[in-house]
Amino acid sequence: MTCPFSPLSLARQPFFKSSGFSSRTCRRQESTARRLRQRLRIKPEPSFAETIPTQDHIIYNPPSSAPSVYHTPFKFLPQNDKRRQRLAAATTSSPFAFSAPTSDNSTSSTLPPPLRAPVQKRYHLTSADFDEIRRLRIEDPLKWSNIALAKKFQCSTVLIPMICSVPKEVKQIREKELEDIKQKWGPKKRAAREDRARRRERWGRDE
Amino acid sequence: MGAFEGIDKLGRYQPPTESCRHDHIPSPHPEAAVHSPKLAALHARLSLPERLPLQTLARSLVDVSADSDPAFNNSSLAILGSDILGYYTSEFLLCHYPRLPMVVLFAAQSAYVGPKTLAALSQEWGVEAAACPGGEVDPGLLQFTQVDPGAPPPDMLKPGTTSRPNDDRHYRRGLSSRIVYDDQFGDMKANPDSGIAITGSSTSFPSSPSRSQPTFPPPSSSLSSTLTSHRPNLGPDRQPTASRTTAYAPPPSRNGTTHERARQTFVRALCGALYLHCGKPYTRSFFRAHILSRSLRPSTPSPATSSLPSSSAPQGLASLFAFTQPTRDLSRLCAREGFEPPVARLISETGRASRHPVFVVGVYSGRDKLGEGAGSSLDEARFRAAANALRGWYLYTPGEGEVSMPSETEIGAGGGNGRERGGGKKYIPPFIDPGEVVV
Repeated sequence: MTCPFSPLSLARQPFFKSSGFSSRTCRRQESTARRLRQRLRIKPEPSFAETIPTQDHIIYNPPSSAPSVYHTPFKFLPQNDKRRQRLAAATTSSPFAFSAPTSDNSTSSTLPPPLRAPVQKRYHLTSADFDEIRRLRIEDPLKWSNIALAKKFQCSTVLIPMICSVPKEVKQIREKELEDIKQKWGPKKRAAREDRARRRERWGRDE
Repeated sequence: MGAFEGIDKLGRYQPPTESCRHDHIPSPHPEAAVHSPKLAALHARLSLPERLPLQTLARSLVDVSADSDPAFNNSSLAILGSDILGYYTSEFLLCHYPRLPMVVLFAAQSAYVGPKTLAALSQEWGVEAAACPGGEVDPGLLQFTQVDPGAPPPDMLKPGTTSRPNDDRHYRRGLSSRIVYDDQFGDMKANPDSGIAITGSSTSFPSSPSRSQPTFPPPSSSLSSTLTSHRPNLGPDRQPTASRTTAYAPPPSRNGTTHERARQTFVRALCGALYLHCGKPYTRSFFRAHILSRSLRPSTPSPATSSLPSSSAPQGLASLFAFTQPTRDLSRLCAREGFEPPVARLISETGRASRHPVFVVGVYSGRDKLGEGAGSSLDEARFRAAANALRGWYLYTPGEGEVSMPSETEIGAGGGNGRERGGGKKYIPPFIDPGEVVV
């Protein structure tokens, strides 16, 4: 370009002037085509590897997704359903084994870890304990709530209402207490609680 | 009578001349049906067989609120059609999904053949409503009287008029009583003895007896010549005159109906007419083509409270379930069926300390995975996993070749022609489930 004041050179001037901070050497960018191509050169999935090149076979490599609820789990199939035998045969013979329909507990180490420690039901309460629970409830129904009784007798809170019920007056007192607490909530707390309950409803509808 | 009588040179429908004006009758005369392009177009659009005459199609478009005469409105056809649609739908649901809980069964029935669906169906068919019913209106239009603004809706039932005993005492409407007393959707229905059920809302026309005065020759077009014995009481020449003047006394109330209700009645009446004129096999194939082919979509969730993208919303019958305590229900189910108690296990997780963690939890009984769910908290994932396991239980369907519905096994159900013998599918007893989980 002969003219030194061409619009192109003028436009470029500030760029060269301000380049004092960076090095003048040509730096290779990360985003060159070759680099990207090298990066994307991933080894294929093992199921695509030609294990049996001599004969035709089906490659089964579905994308990861949530399982469909329309596929009945093996355990939920009725005893006379034909899929039981087919699934059992498929898991034993095929290399692509999905949910294991065996019921042996030998390889429990392969199962994912449980969220909570499994609780063993103890069935340790006797009829004398039941009588004691009823007596305590009659003695002081306000003090001996379901939670307190369950804690004392080391049983589930679900069990206590099966043994003895709460008097109506105590229920009303509790409801009154809860209402008083709710009266003290501000609009933010109330809205947050309502939103939480609404979200929980959506869990049940799988939305 | 020429085939193109009543049509002008531009193909428009011309009302009959002074010699046979039908202004004084509440709904179009059956003779006018042959000359209506709208009706012929609807007949062709739905690929209805020639055995269904245009006159019957026209009659199925006349609501009871337009014409209170049961010989000219669609109320009797609609009762038959409602039963047929209800039977085919419940048969399909019970045979294909034998474990569905009763609430979901009611919801599914309503989703397939409920009022809203049928109204949408008739709208998709291109059925238009007349602004006001009358004898001069094109018979291809849906004829009904709009309910007055501010008036109570016609399907609202007052205590004492429902089919439930002691319904004025406001007893709890439990599920068992809904099965016994209520209609196919689990909704309250009118008591047949109270006179509301059949005629519903009626309009009285003072000129009703005069409709039997003019005599018309029987329809002579090629369409109606094929039917003889299948045909219900259609032409005025077949109507006993005495019954219309004396036996039938229209109630004096002048109640209208809603647009949706009139449309729903039309679809039901059309199914009833198809059953009468074309027989069971054609009605079944019509039902399959127009009702069962519809996909059940959930209503779009509001984005404000949605924690997952809307693409993950369940499709089909799975969208009808709403669990409140799935973990408890699942453990009850496992105890009932003799499975090991369910255990929630963490399959994978990401971003536990971040703002958007995702946990994938599976519910296992012994070594078998029953369900899997993902959520932004451990509690949510466990809840969803248990709910999915319950859906997996309830949505069990026998294999493709393992189901035969009773209507398929009937003689002549296989072919398109109802008169041919044989061809019924082999009967396989349906799977009977012990019932839903009761806690």
